[in-house]
Amino acid sequence: MEIRLHGRGGQGGVTCAKILAAIYAREGKSVQTFGDYAGERSGAPVRAYTRVEDGRITNRNKVYRPDHLLVLDPTLLGDEVVTGLKPGGTLLINSPEPLETHRARFGAFRVAVVDATSIARAHGIGTRSVVIVNTTIAGAWAKVMNVPLDRVEEVYRDLGLLSNFPAARDAYESVRFDGAPRAADATAADAAAPPAELPKVEPLVEHRSSPPTPLKTGSWRTQTPVYTEHLAPCSAWCPAGNDAIGFVQALAREGEEQAAAVLGGTTPLAAVCGRVCPAPCMEGCNRAELDGAVNIRGIERWIADHVPVARRRPAACADSKRIAIVGSGPAGLSAAYQLALLGHAVTIFEGEDQLGGVLRTGIPTYRLPREVLDREIDAILALGVEARCGEFLSRERLAALAEEYDGLILATGLQKLRTLAVPGADLVGIEQGIRYLHRVNLEGGAPLSGEVFVLGGGNTAMDCARSALRSGADRVVVAYRRTRKEMPAIREEIEEAELEGIEIEELVAPVAFHGDGRVAEIEFAEVDLGEPDESGRRRPLISERTFRVPCDHVLLALGQSGDLSLLPEGWELAEDGRLVAPDRAPVAYAAGDLATGDGTVTHAIGSGRRAAGLLLRALGFEAEVFERPDRSKAVPVTDIRLDHFGRAAAAADRHLPVPERLNGFAEVNRGLADGLEAHRCFSCGHCTECDTCLVYCPEGIIRRRTERGYEVDYSYCKGCGICVTECPRSAMEMQSS
Amino acid sequence: MTVELLSANHAAARAAALAGRANRAGRGFGGGVYPITPQTECIELLCRQEFEKGEIVRVESEHSAMAVCMGVSLGGARAFTASSSNGLAYMAENVVSAALYRLPIVMMAVNRTLGPPWNIWVDHGDTLMLRDAGWIQFYCEDNQEVADTILLAYRLAEDARVLLPVMVCQDAFVLSHTMMLTDLPSQEEVDAFLPPLELPHAVGGKPVTVGGLDFPHETEVHRREHHEAMLRVPAVYGEIQDEFERRFGRRPADRVEAYRMDDAEAVFVSMGTTASTAKAVVDAARERGVKAGSLRVRMFRPFPEDLLATWLRGRERVAVLDRDLCPGLGGVLWSEVRGVCPGSLVQNYMLGLGGGDIRPEHLEQVLDDLLARAAAGEPRIVEVG
Repeated sequence: MEIRLHGRGGQGGVTCAKILAAIYAREGKSVQTFGDYAGERSGAPVRAYTRVEDGRITNRNKVYRPDHLLVLDPTLLGDEVVTGLKPGGTLLINSPEPLETHRARFGAFRVAVVDATSIARAHGIGTRSVVIVNTTIAGAWAKVMNVPLDRVEEVYRDLGLLSNFPAARDAYESVRFDGAPRAADATAADAAAPPAELPKVEPLVEHRSSPPTPLKTGSWRTQTPVYTEHLAPCSAWCPAGNDAIGFVQALAREGEEQAAAVLGGTTPLAAVCGRVCPAPCMEGCNRAELDGAVNIRGIERWIADHVPVARRRPAACADSKRIAIVGSGPAGLSAAYQLALLGHAVTIFEGEDQLGGVLRTGIPTYRLPREVLDREIDAILALGVEARCGEFLSRERLAALAEEYDGLILATGLQKLRTLAVPGADLVGIEQGIRYLHRVNLEGGAPLSGEVFVLGGGNTAMDCARSALRSGADRVVVAYRRTRKEMPAIREEIEEAELEGIEIEELVAPVAFHGDGRVAEIEFAEVDLGEPDESGRRRPLISERTFRVPCDHVLLALGQSGDLSLLPEGWELAEDGRLVAPDRAPVAYAAGDLATGDGTVTHAIGSGRRAAGLLLRALGFEAEVFERPDRSKAVPVTDIRLDHFGRAAAAADRHLPVPERLNGFAEVNRGLADGLEAHRCFSCGHCTECDTCLVYCPEGIIRRRTERGYEVDYSYCKGCGICVTECPRSAMEMQSS
Repeated sequence: MTVELLSANHAAARAAALAGRANRAGRGFGGGVYPITPQTECIELLCRQEFEKGEIVRVESEHSAMAVCMGVSLGGARAFTASSSNGLAYMAENVVSAALYRLPIVMMAVNRTLGPPWNIWVDHGDTLMLRDAGWIQFYCEDNQEVADTILLAYRLAEDARVLLPVMVCQDAFVLSHTMMLTDLPSQEEVDAFLPPLELPHAVGGKPVTVGGLDFPHETEVHRREHHEAMLRVPAVYGEIQDEFERRFGRRPADRVEAYRMDDAEAVFVSMGTTASTAKAVVDAARERGVKAGSLRVRMFRPFPEDLLATWLRGRERVAVLDRDLCPGLGGVLWSEVRGVCPGSLVQNYMLGLGGGDIRPEHLEQVLDDLLARAAAGEPRIVEVG
């Protein structure tokens, strides 16, 4: 029996062939196994062979007509790989695709398929980028060839590979295969097998051939380096779809005008987001592994505070549509901006007297000064967007709007407030936090005094607590049923609140309010944490242990939800935010929290942009629809060469000293002192023309282009891959020649 | 004895370690090593071995590696090293010295093409470059033979009638990196087969100069002694074959290994693993009525002229298969074989230069060409790609 393996350098194909040999050696057979060594660089195609005989093996040739074949890397699959495989032979493929896919292509053989890469990765064999599949696929082989699993285990023990045996067992159990080749009769199988193109045997005449060697530096090249842009994690993580790496690098290399232009492509609210965003981009930032994430939010704010980001000129549109947007929070504004930029006539309907939605009603001015918000809203209106404020729309009016306008976007946010059904909840002095913030933000302030308890752990809770402290409260306590680390509020908000003197009471739940007409005491129950729930946080279990604390005011910040009762009769929210009605379907989409409930400004901006695209598609335009990038495609930190970068602490935002803060509602966070933080960016997956490839190329054949980027003289490139390995930021890759 | 799945590189290292430990009652074991593809695996494994007496020294070059071996051996310890290709070329000065000092060093050489341009695959040109260095040379055909030959090489090298270094050659990758089930004797068995080395000219005790100045007459005597020691090798080797077979139950192959030679009219002569393919082609040829046979030259130095003359007497046609080239002349093996069989048509084919896979199809063509000849012609280079 002759077996041939095809893999790539680094997958361990030669060791796999040895495992197979060891399995048969244990059965008392004679075995021989060897690799076909060449320029065996990582990723280069590698072959390995195993021979199994009853008697002594004397054949020392490579295997040209294998009885069976293993393919360790599905990208190698092709006629060339199966060349010479005997019809009816087993073809075991490492592939995530179903058996049927491969059977359709290789019907002349007995096809077997196992997703060895996923199994090996799940067992942590190799690295995230280079998964070593050899010990896994060997398990699948054993199953296909009827080798008992305990014999496989013995062999792994003999070879010192026992730690990889669980992966082999998974493959043993999950491999799918045919009992026999589909084309069962031999002639049909012969006909279906690809022609065996074996290495040619030249006739023995006086020949002196000179094989062509187009490559001036040798003949071992199997792959060539190319410059490729890869998705940066900051951009992948941004729910608004901002080109985070784009604006950071533009600031670093071209200045704030260019950076603002990049931002303006996706958002009109960069100065807002630069202040209130939880900054998922910074969670994704690879620099966190070295010396702290780049302060991307600070950079965004710095850019937007220096150059307005919103674009100024709408595109000409021959078929301009009239579009109504209900709600002027971040989702509505984002949709309005995108639609207006494309030349459509947009009217925003807002119940309050001024635009901004939750940005104005909910977020206190010490976080978002109104002149900043007004400036960005004005830039949107400057595109010709009409605003109609001061009227909350009835269901009937909403239905009528859908008739009057070509399209409708509903972005009314989360209007329904969660209440507390405990004794005494209707006592005076207990107020919804959102209402309180409305009074603070829009009604000239809401002074209070004494002991204030805020119930909840989200951003509304923090906003209430810090606003109350600025409005005269003597003491403010945030009471939360889980612990600090489970609080959904932005980390910095919690830290700032504590810095300002706000207390946090963890693991308590209110079970009653007491007082004579007016609240005087809260009765809390102590909370124990149970098993994790679907959110991954541990479930709070309310105990029988209770205690009372005196209080003067209680602000409820327990969460909000979308209020679908404002939809016209019969309307429903369908997939992707589409709004459907029973009779004439309106061209209408929900956006922002109403559609997604994600609860952040950045999510709302992305959702508004997506709704605008979907609406235009529905209206028959070839519109681009924003899709959230796949985070798993982003450059992992393991692909960044950290030692290229010197350590440098992140530039921190400047803050107003605490004593100055509490006198009023002055902005606390004063942002970055300058834009130099952008230079800390690794530029993951994006070439910065750092010349590292050029410097390290041993052949000296990489040179700068006159415009941008580099060119490689491939007539000399020997495919060593040093440039790709040395690239600090994974902006290159090797591709098969 | 244990049977293990080993590459020939590892088998060589294990055999060397067994032989080395067997000298623990004597002056121990040592050697200098320097890595080169495709020998590296061998010395990596050797460096991981523990020795009760002695050590392996990692040095900065092949030249120094052999210098260490000479020091080890002159001190009366058992010495081993391994190298290949251009590494052997760099080592050459001390390779010659080791033989002229009459030191029983054993070296495993992996046959690899000499560069530049660089090529890592099999070709016998590297060790054949050293054919006149005064060493005994074996060329092996399979993994077991590599291990066995390392062991018996010490017995041969250290025999008081011989006292010469031995080179055990194996084909790059085809043997060095190919794993097969290999039978390794126990330490006790090796101890019994290889008694402690007693080097008559070992240094130690009182100061002595070795390798000083030779005048012409002294050199004449030294050369004659070296030559006579070589001439005694075949007889000593025969004794060792018997002894090895008695102890380990398998007989090492003769200096020239014959295959289906009884009535052979057309004969392949080759070295190393080419012989495996030659034997397969002999079988196939006999199926179709061609009386073919194969001779494998296992011991190339001293050249087995006696055995070749016996085996080739009266054969009509001889194809000498060289995996080497003496530019301007032809194959090295052919240049020596052609003198021993007057009357035969001896044609030279050089195949697999640079490590191409010599397949049965190639040797079938060679056989057809040989059978069709009226007379021998110029040596031919066959391109196997």
